[in-house]
Amino acid sequence: MLDNLNQDVSILQPSLQMTDSQIQNRIRQMKMEDPDDQTCYQKFCNLFTIEYYREYFDVTTELVIAKVVNAFNPFSGTFFDIGGGIPELYGPFWILNTLIFTTALSVNIIKYMQLQPGEHFEYQFQIVPILTIFMYLKTLIVPMIYRVALKCVSQDRLTLLHCLTIYGYSAVVMIPISLLNSIPNPAIQWMLLVYVLFAQTSFLTSNFNQELKYLPKEKKYMIVGLVAVVQITIMILYKFYFFSSINYEQLGLVKKRTTTHLLPHILGAN
Amino acid sequence: MTDNHPFGSGMFQGQAKFVDYAHMNQQEVQVNTLDEPVLDTLLRDINMILYKLSYVIIPRMKETQGRKLRNWDLWGPLLLSLLLAMTLGINSNQSSDTIFGTIFIIMWGGSAVITVNAKLLGGQVSFFQSVCVLGYCVFPINVAAVVITFLQSYFGFFLRLVIVGVAFLWSTFSSLSFMSSMMNEEKKVISVYPIFLFYMFLSWFCIFI
Repeated sequence: MLDNLNQDVSILQPSLQMTDSQIQNRIRQMKMEDPDDQTCYQKFCNLFTIEYYREYFDVTTELVIAKVVNAFNPFSGTFFDIGGGIPELYGPFWILNTLIFTTALSVNIIKYMQLQPGEHFEYQFQIVPILTIFMYLKTLIVPMIYRVALKCVSQDRLTLLHCLTIYGYSAVVMIPISLLNSIPNPAIQWMLLVYVLFAQTSFLTSNFNQELKYLPKEKKYMIVGLVAVVQITIMILYKFYFFSSINYEQLGLVKKRTTTHLLPHILGAN
Repeated sequence: MTDNHPFGSGMFQGQAKFVDYAHMNQQEVQVNTLDEPVLDTLLRDINMILYKLSYVIIPRMKETQGRKLRNWDLWGPLLLSLLLAMTLGINSNQSSDTIFGTIFIIMWGGSAVITVNAKLLGGQVSFFQSVCVLGYCVFPINVAAVVITFLQSYFGFFLRLVIVGVAFLWSTFSSLSFMSSMMNEEKKVISVYPIFLFYMFLSWFCIFI
């Protein structure tokens, strides 16, 4: 039965072959679909065992490093060829957590640099739960949007998990940028933001392009446009919510403006 | 996977030589320790904790010597996490209770997440053993936090950075030998990286407070 399974699948792109643990999971699922064989516990509590999720963590160090290095390259479009294009959750999960840590660190470094001489520094960690919710929601919702869009153009080869994987890995670019964002120069921060936007969007679009090559142009541009718009929204939220408390005047980088009320508001000085 | 009794291996087990007067045999039986003096119970647990801490203080890379750590207990990690949370909470006047809560949750939640991660990657690691080891290896960061708190006026930022950096490297190195011996060669780095992140997170708390 094993050979038939792999033979059928290999007619499709080689990027969709299944690993051993995926095959074992599939066999177990097929066995368990026979209602006589299942106990009540097996029917409902399978979701709570660790074995159920093991197929999504079937990675090695080399694979993860190769994918991360690939994610830094915005033009290659070869992400789904690494390791057979098998979706996994290890990379996105730990990249997210690293990102939360570096952003919280960066925000606190900015706050530390803005200390007045007599003040005692209060570590602002209320930002950590907010960051966590923001990042996790982003990583759950955006791949769903992508999947719905791909379904609309009737592209069924990329499942939700594939979208999750690639979206999670695309966030790697944000890790060094969020650390560098602690440099209090406004020009540098905007340049970094633009770079991240460009790098992440072009990584996602060049990879989706590989799968969308056979579609007519309007549909392709629709997907690409959707990716870009969602990315821009998220980046703007990120920048203006978490990094908005920089008081450039206080740091002596910008001359005091006494004219309009609008400008200090944009620069975030409250 | 052999787990010891889930409610603490040291607290309710004891051994004594039992002289059976009827048959004049010496047997070792499990005697309930409710009759012994309280000091004996406490000292036995404290000895166990100190014994495990000695493994953390002198990190041993060979797996065989870390085998004693497999008698897990959660008293040590509890004491260490309480100490760390209280030390870091003392310094900040306004939000000491939220800091306490955050550190506590991060320590226990973080240990749980790292252990589940190692299990998902296919390691043969028992849940409570791993939580125990990760909890004990917070000890160097604890020491750094106490030192920084009580000698605050003498330390500038960079000296604090150095002290916490040394403590962080020490913690990571201690837990490395235990955790990496459980995993395959090809998955060692990806199972150790979360530990690195976890201790880094706790260390940055120490620097900034």
